[in-house]
Amino acid sequence: MTALLARFRRKPKPQNDESYYTAGQLALIKARFKRKTSGVVAAWILATLVLMGFFAGFFSPVDPTIRGADAEYRRGVPQPIFFWDDNGFSLRPFTYTYTKAKSKIDLKALAGGGLDALDAFTASGALTSSSQNRFEVDKEQRRYLQFFVKGWEYSLIDLSVGGLNLDLRWDRHLFGVEQGQIHLMGTDEDGKDVFSRTLHAIWVTISIAIVALVVKLFVSLFVGGVSGYFGGRVDTIMMSITEAVRVIPPIPIYLACAVALAQLDLTPVQRYFAIALVIGALDFATLGRRLRTHILTERNQDYVLAAQLCGSGTWRIIWRHLIPSFTSYIIVDTLINFPYVILAETSLSFLGLGLTEPVNSLGVLLQKAQDPDIQQNMIWQFFPVLVFVCLIMAFVFVGDALRDAADPYSEKK
Amino acid sequence: MMQFLSDTWLLWILLSVGGLLWWSGRDSQYFHYVFNRYLLALATLLLVSGIVFSLMEVLPGDCAEKYIAYKNTQGETITQADIQAERVRMGLDKSLPERWGRWVTNLTLRGDLGFSCAKRQSVNLALGNRFWMSFMFCIAGLVFAYLIAVPFGILSAFTINKSWRDTNPQHSKAEQLFGTAILSLQKMVDLLLRIISYLGLALPNFLLALTIILLYVFAGEPMPTGLFSDQWANVPWFGVDGFSTGKLYDFLGHIWLPIFVIGWSATALQLQTVRALVVDESNKLYVDAARARGVDGVALWAGYPVRHSISPLFNSIGFDFQRVFNDLPIVAVVIGLTDSAALLIEALSMTNDQELAAGILFLVALVVISMNFITDVVLAAIDPRVRKSVLGN
Repeated sequence: MTALLARFRRKPKPQNDESYYTAGQLALIKARFKRKTSGVVAAWILATLVLMGFFAGFFSPVDPTIRGADAEYRRGVPQPIFFWDDNGFSLRPFTYTYTKAKSKIDLKALAGGGLDALDAFTASGALTSSSQNRFEVDKEQRRYLQFFVKGWEYSLIDLSVGGLNLDLRWDRHLFGVEQGQIHLMGTDEDGKDVFSRTLHAIWVTISIAIVALVVKLFVSLFVGGVSGYFGGRVDTIMMSITEAVRVIPPIPIYLACAVALAQLDLTPVQRYFAIALVIGALDFATLGRRLRTHILTERNQDYVLAAQLCGSGTWRIIWRHLIPSFTSYIIVDTLINFPYVILAETSLSFLGLGLTEPVNSLGVLLQKAQDPDIQQNMIWQFFPVLVFVCLIMAFVFVGDALRDAADPYSEKK
Repeated sequence: MMQFLSDTWLLWILLSVGGLLWWSGRDSQYFHYVFNRYLLALATLLLVSGIVFSLMEVLPGDCAEKYIAYKNTQGETITQADIQAERVRMGLDKSLPERWGRWVTNLTLRGDLGFSCAKRQSVNLALGNRFWMSFMFCIAGLVFAYLIAVPFGILSAFTINKSWRDTNPQHSKAEQLFGTAILSLQKMVDLLLRIISYLGLALPNFLLALTIILLYVFAGEPMPTGLFSDQWANVPWFGVDGFSTGKLYDFLGHIWLPIFVIGWSATALQLQTVRALVVDESNKLYVDAARARGVDGVALWAGYPVRHSISPLFNSIGFDFQRVFNDLPIVAVVIGLTDSAALLIEALSMTNDQELAAGILFLVALVVISMNFITDVVLAAIDPRVRKSVLGN
């Protein structure tokens, strides 16, 4: 907060010093970005979320898979953390002990054998799963939080997907309790910890988006590059196909592909990459067109001619001169597209055609929000929704600020 | 003769429009451009039909299998030979280009979108008025988005490079204080509106619709799902005692939900676009020139950057429509609409009805392409900058 106030008070620095005029493109973008308060705040939120997602194993106290499911604490309410209560203050934060209440089912009423009694019994809701899973809080029994506690083993950095033989495993967690497990955001029907699941889901969703965006970038570079570089008839054909792809709404196309994927027998990992591939490969139209226009205009510029006269080869010109001229555009465009790709993945998962349980992805967790049981009895399962909204908002605001910062003409006044 | 005409009516319309444009284009550069644009639109449509038709091949199963599977449920025993015979009867044994050729020919001759095997009727009949319903939803959602995005996008662009404080040295202390208050207010309004509009993007459509429905459930009101509530569903629009206003009110009470949901999420993108366009224009030299002439305040903004950013915005209506339609299917599933978007989802993920899905996607593309055609032609007629760039002089 003080940093915010300081930012508000700070006088804009005069920008006529030499370092400003000799600064590189990236330094300028950075300097301009720093002046956008909303962008900086969003960037911090985004960085925190992504970091927590990437090192989800370290930050989450409970194993999010079925192995870590707490059979004694199904459909459990969130367990908040306190510093003080009626019994006094404690520097070490603590939570209470939750025990499952003995469900008081009075079977005597049924003893008469009357069907009316049975009806009344069922209608009273005593048999529903939420009334079977009631928990009592024992305020006298504090469970103190331990930091850097030993727990289940997880892989901190796993590069085996990338073909490298590197799998760093660790078993320390940021926090945990000694007796039982702590469920900050409660548990779901199977007793899986909602908080841990959400943290793990963040990285799964972001990595799908990254794979999709990388695929998209390569396809766009190919289409835009070929079209812009060769020009002429190739350009006409490529661009008319791009134009045709652009007018078809993408989500139905993703749907069709996802339905086709569902026919194949894929492992979850393969399915995950296939979905990312589909989302990325079909989304080349806009970026491809922009790159093509860019290459078409840039290749006739004087600096390209100068490079040619100096004897540079075609590839050197492309790599050293043409591509740097639009890297900032590509980066900004990629960042702006992040939320849309994530939304596409969630939409697919919502229809049950993307990733499915037991994979932890935000789409899978959001899909649960449409279950009336969860809406009425387990409102804490909306926690992933909150995280999702924060994540998308952070991406959008960072993208907005970055777009303004990357525009070289934005600071005349 | 009449039979022949009614079988080929669409072709004649297309040909006569083309001929008319060509005739006018012989001595008018503008109509020559329109004629070229018309040919381009038709060519794009052909390509789209090819892409859509071949994409639908990835859906599992074909019409013959489904047809036979249906007979199987009726108690007949079916052999592989029966399926094969059915395939030959339906022409499904032919290659993909051949089937596509037949589909396109029927389409261009008489607007026939093929046969839906899950519904067991022609696609045109299965769609009926449903496509128009989706069309109206999208247009209403777009209007909603534009109404919010255009004014506030301009405001956002206006405040973008302003600081929170008025540091003009020519102002007195009191003026600076007042200026700071005004600027802060503008910045706050801008930030608030951006947060609200981006919330529309960040809350996935289905979740937003669900939340609203849930609020109704908690409040104990009847849910605004579908198009009409039960009591009005079967009342005709024009009853014995004239137009039924009750049905209209009921309709309006239901219709706002899908429009609001898809409109809100479209607003965020629209706001970003308007903002970027106006900022782009406001950095150009002619704005500086106008400022140097002494034009200031609202007159400067309305007369120069805003006016010039309208035509690119107008030009993007077609793609905006596509984007809004993109969101519609999932909203339709949640709200329980029965328009063509819901039909599309059903055809894609449940019944695997290739020709129905292809038909709907083709119609959406048709709308987008015709909107692009119209906006291009209109802009070339009224915007001198566009005219200069497409006509040469």
